[in-house]
Amino acid sequence: MIAQQIINAVSLGGVYALLALGLAIVFSIVGLINFAHGELMTLSGYALLAALVFGLPFPAAVLVAVSCGALAAVAMERVAFRPMRGASVTSLLLTSFAVSSLLKVVFQNGISARPQAVAMPDWMTGAFSFGDFTIGVGPSISIVVSALALIALELFLRRSVTGTAMRAAAEDFNVVRLMGIPASRIIATAFLLSGLLAGLAAMLWVAQRASVDPLMGFTPVLKAFIAAVVGGLGSLPGAVAGGFLLGIIEVLLQATLPAAVAPYRDAIVLSGVIAVLLVRPQGLIPAVRVQRS
Amino acid sequence: MPKLYRLHRAALYAAVFGTAVAVVSTVSAEEIVIGAATAQTGGLAPYDQPALAGLRMALDELNAKGGLGGKYTAKLIIKDTRSDTAQTATVAQELIDAGAKIMITPCDADPSISAGQLTQPLGIPTLTLCGSAPVLTAAVGDVMFGTYPADNVQATAVADFAIAEGKKKVYLLTSPDSTYTANLPEYFGTVFEKKGGAIAGRGTYTMGQPDFSAEITNIKNLAEQPDLIMTAAYEPDFPAFIQQLRGAGVTIPVYGADAIGTPTIKGLGKLVDGVVYTAAGYAEPGSKLEAFDAAFTKYAGHAPESTYEVNGYEIGLILDHAVKTAGSDDPKAIRDAIAGIKDFEGIAGKITYAGTDRMPLRPVALMRYEGGESKHIQTMIPAAADVPAP
Repeated sequence: MIAQQIINAVSLGGVYALLALGLAIVFSIVGLINFAHGELMTLSGYALLAALVFGLPFPAAVLVAVSCGALAAVAMERVAFRPMRGASVTSLLLTSFAVSSLLKVVFQNGISARPQAVAMPDWMTGAFSFGDFTIGVGPSISIVVSALALIALELFLRRSVTGTAMRAAAEDFNVVRLMGIPASRIIATAFLLSGLLAGLAAMLWVAQRASVDPLMGFTPVLKAFIAAVVGGLGSLPGAVAGGFLLGIIEVLLQATLPAAVAPYRDAIVLSGVIAVLLVRPQGLIPAVRVQRS
Repeated sequence: MPKLYRLHRAALYAAVFGTAVAVVSTVSAEEIVIGAATAQTGGLAPYDQPALAGLRMALDELNAKGGLGGKYTAKLIIKDTRSDTAQTATVAQELIDAGAKIMITPCDADPSISAGQLTQPLGIPTLTLCGSAPVLTAAVGDVMFGTYPADNVQATAVADFAIAEGKKKVYLLTSPDSTYTANLPEYFGTVFEKKGGAIAGRGTYTMGQPDFSAEITNIKNLAEQPDLIMTAAYEPDFPAFIQQLRGAGVTIPVYGADAIGTPTIKGLGKLVDGVVYTAAGYAEPGSKLEAFDAAFTKYAGHAPESTYEVNGYEIGLILDHAVKTAGSDDPKAIRDAIAGIKDFEGIAGKITYAGTDRMPLRPVALMRYEGGESKHIQTMIPAAADVPAP
């Protein structure tokens, strides 16, 4: 039972880590907490549904959906955030809320207020058994995909020129520009990566929830924000650590709290977050240079 | 900036008062304003909108025949509550100011109660579209009416069926986040225990919770395995729960109630095979409900998604009957007329308010998903003595 709950925790933590990382990448470069990140997930979810309705095989549909998330993120930057470049943190934050609300209304009125069922392939609801120990295919995929995505991102940031430039930009954007690297390219890449991560997270999210609805982005972006803050805003390793920590605490509480206290689970989780921040105000793994604008 | 702000505010006031005046001035003696404070956006919209479509159809038909009671043209004013309890009170007040003599409220207890707080002192009869929590009428007072089979009645019907099937042990999954999700499984548990069943365990979830894995692991590790899981979870929580439950290799049947009788749940296909739920009626060949479904399809351009449409339509019929009985458009007289309704021939079955606490006595249809289709099991009115107190 304990082993089972550990797998549950790692699986949920992995999804939170992907989400938090998506927020952190953009924040580290432009100082924007993109609250419309959840709507990128929703968009990917609808893209998956549409691709399946049009008869694409499942792997192709997933590919289409993830690319849609990535492209939508780049488009979002171009349309909504580029005109706001250099604006205050508050203005950027409000812009992202506006984009988020706008997209939610578009989904509700343009598609349907009702959640749409996404029938996952049968093998997704299967489970492996080892004696009396079973592990579902869904959680296994979650863990593998999260791990692969984290490794791939790490390689990109360490080994490629653009990746190196992005890490440098997170520390001092002006110096990177003086080196002759165009700001727009760095920022667009940051959004592209965050959209990719949102798309991947959306696939894992939808696989576990079997439906897409206009408001589905709200909870994940909130969790991602909490994870990113606990981990250290703007720090990529911090976002991953924060995501796993949040997932583990949530599963642990859900598994162990007596029924009478269970409704206070979220309150207890958030109290834990406050406790962490009291001890480490910059988060678990603080960013190299704290962003101020 | 401040000056501009004042200008804006002035313009806003002008607009608001202008509209109010315009609305009031268009209410003629032969009109009766029905205010609909319902969700067009947010989590309740998928429930409110079908019900409202049914009501609209009824009012259109009645108006073509001279109006409610053959005399008063029904004027429906619809305002969006955004599925928010506080916003429901705001728009209810706006509707009252616009002259509403009848109020229609969302498919949930909490916003209906918030609107009821405003209509109760004025004596305006208030009907919830498909809010089914039996506590909601007592929480407001004598103007508040339910229209859909109440949660305790639905739960009794499902429990009777589970006992008849030979089920012995149930696991109750509740969420304290709404009256519906918190109480309906407990009503089931009460009846189930009274009739010889046992409760093997209880679990809770938060609405919108992403992950049910810990809860499911707890179910798998119960010393006594239940032969049934009862929940009032609905979309998007219900699909998530059952996807993760089946994904973890648990095959225990899951039963629910009316809120999972939707195209979304049906669209889950094989995943929901064997899931039992309830409806306000079943369209048997040759029944009035079958004729309604055909007429609705013609009216709306698509088939009804559930029995919320017919329930909304029946609200129109109830209002027509009440205005006829009252012989006037006086809200208090209309309220008394609704409260006195006995064996009224609706579309899905007979409806009775007389002798109840304003939650109607009406049949419950038990349904089951099989191979992506909804199959009718039986239609029943549970014995009043079996139904647990709210």
